[in-house]
Amino acid sequence: MSRNLILGLSAAVLTAGLAAPALADAGDTIKTIVDRGTLRCTGHNGSYLGFAEVDDAGKWTGFDIEFCKALATAILGSPESLQIIPVSWAQRFPALQSGDIDVIIKVTGWTMSRDTELGLQFSRPYFIGPTNILTRTELGAETAADLEGGVFCINAGTSIERIVADYMGARGIQYEALNFEKAEELRSALYGGRCDALAGFGPFLAATRFNAPNPDDFVIMDEVLALEPEAIATRQGDDNFVDVINWMVSGLLMAEENGITQANVDEIRANPPSASVERLLGVSPGMGDRLGLSNDWVYNVIKAVGNYGEIYERTVGQDSPYKLPRGKNHLWSDGGLLYSLVLD
Amino acid sequence: MRTLKQRKTRAWIFQAIVLLSTVGLTVSFVVIARQNLLSQGIATGFGFLERSTGWPINFALIEITARSPYWRMLLAGLFNTLLVGFLGLAFATFLGIFIGTIRISSNLILNIIGTVYVEIFRNVPLILQAIFWYAILTHLPSPKQAIPLGDFGFLSNRGLILPALDLSMADVYLLLIATAIALYAAIRMQRAGPELARLAMPLPALAFLGVFVLLLFIGRTPDAPLMTLPELRGLRFVGGVSIKPEFTALLIAITVFGGAYIGEIVRGGFLSVDKGKIEAARALGLSAFRINQLVRIPLAIRAMLPALANQYVWLMKATTIGIAIGFPDYFMVVSTAINQSGQTMELIALLMAGFLLINYSIGHAMNRLNTRLAIKGKAA
Repeated sequence: MSRNLILGLSAAVLTAGLAAPALADAGDTIKTIVDRGTLRCTGHNGSYLGFAEVDDAGKWTGFDIEFCKALATAILGSPESLQIIPVSWAQRFPALQSGDIDVIIKVTGWTMSRDTELGLQFSRPYFIGPTNILTRTELGAETAADLEGGVFCINAGTSIERIVADYMGARGIQYEALNFEKAEELRSALYGGRCDALAGFGPFLAATRFNAPNPDDFVIMDEVLALEPEAIATRQGDDNFVDVINWMVSGLLMAEENGITQANVDEIRANPPSASVERLLGVSPGMGDRLGLSNDWVYNVIKAVGNYGEIYERTVGQDSPYKLPRGKNHLWSDGGLLYSLVLD
Repeated sequence: MRTLKQRKTRAWIFQAIVLLSTVGLTVSFVVIARQNLLSQGIATGFGFLERSTGWPINFALIEITARSPYWRMLLAGLFNTLLVGFLGLAFATFLGIFIGTIRISSNLILNIIGTVYVEIFRNVPLILQAIFWYAILTHLPSPKQAIPLGDFGFLSNRGLILPALDLSMADVYLLLIATAIALYAAIRMQRAGPELARLAMPLPALAFLGVFVLLLFIGRTPDAPLMTLPELRGLRFVGGVSIKPEFTALLIAITVFGGAYIGEIVRGGFLSVDKGKIEAARALGLSAFRINQLVRIPLAIRAMLPALANQYVWLMKATTIGIAIGFPDYFMVVSTAINQSGQTMELIALLMAGFLLINYSIGHAMNRLNTRLAIKGKAA
């Protein structure tokens, strides 16, 4: 009997050992991507509406997917050189460390423990995620305090769990947290009336409300529990890759600042209004050679997916079913928090 | 050289080689994994267990807040798994015995009911069943339109709310200890001889009841009512005890699914009893009841036990389905903890160790039962 136990235990430890990922080396991610010919980017196990949606033909769309396309275009020249790997929230970090994916673009909050303990390196934030509360209209609640004692449905394993606990704890508001691993089950619990409120990212709440059998039964409260900067995560120690991502985000914002869109990019490239736009679109060198990319990579990206504002409106904003206001995700000049880095 | 030719010695050497290489492989896996994690700048070790989680769960047998450390959260998850697992095993066994019995009964209608039941619930995946029961339970009316159960309880999509005895958690632990002592006393008295055996049931039961009543009167807060009745206040029920729909749905799913399998095991056990033995008993002039009691059931149980042990271990693992309907069992808590702390390897190891411990205990207990019930001198 005791030998069985020892065997069982060693088998368990053995499996734990095997689960140790065949680790990908940081530092040469771009080389790996170029050799492979495709970028491996994060999808979702199911559809995370607005950000990573998959249709019945297996085609991915969404805000995060557009960024994956932009990155694929920046490095490989074509948005088609992209492989979307469906991973769950919990799988995303191990999948990155094992090299199953090259980068995490999956509304991932930049938190201290992820940055320091998980061996991740974050890019500059590419999306500002407000945490809001969606509640049933019939409850007539206007603030979180009106939901005293209510059941809050929350996506398990996300930072929302902690944000809600901190927010409610600091204000002494009692609540019951009901956590679900998958968004589909979270939604059906809300629609079925199992919970009084759903706490989560504004965009996610907008999509949830839009998909409700009757959207008017639900309302998103104005109260903002927290702002979470969402950033693109890579393996620690690959500085060049992080540089490329930072300038990719910057390039999309710079294009918007300069009024460069998918439709007029050819025209502007033929007739650039300023020296920095000239450099941005690769008419003159500087944008690509310093990053190890082709000089016209920003042009290719804009041609493929459009500028930041276009991506936003198409996937989650006014041109999408979700009609999420841009809020803090406007450029600084329009009252938002987004700005580009300085291209010199 | 001669010793090598002896079979026994060779067998020992082979055993030693296998054992050594297994241990060696294990150690090297752990060392390699650790090195790789260190080189990636990932914190390893179990230090995170002392840190507070920052997130609460809505169902726990021990007190849990967002400030509880990880080890306490994991413990709460383990208890939840044990609770739903053991209740599920017990209910599934009762249901299985019932289903198994009607499946072999000569009554055609009962027979058909049993067959249809087994075919439906054995062939639909457990996860679908769990989601199905959960959907039914959450489509009950909201708390404001809750269905009153007499003057005492309420049934709503927030669960079943019942009046609760005003006992503190410490009282409940004391009661659990008292239950264990009473059970132990009953078993010892049963074995001590026929004189005491007659008292084996009533005496410990009486003592237990005494402890219970005593606790009820001195264990509660002074002047508090004996019982708290649930009452709707705002969005929730205050007072009483609530049985959450997540828990109920998982319990029903495991009971109904396990019942179908156990029913088949029970049926197989009864059918395996040799016809000749029953005829022999009948020839001795035993009544139908005594035949069942002395021949059929003991023989059937022997045939059922190994398959039943398997089924129990399987059902215990099936509690992990809870994650699909938001029940914070051990698996769900570990899964969330992985995401929140990022300590994947450590938590997966803890997850496996937890289930290994539970299922090894079940297997061990069933094996001991099997050995005790085996026909002397026949089975090893």
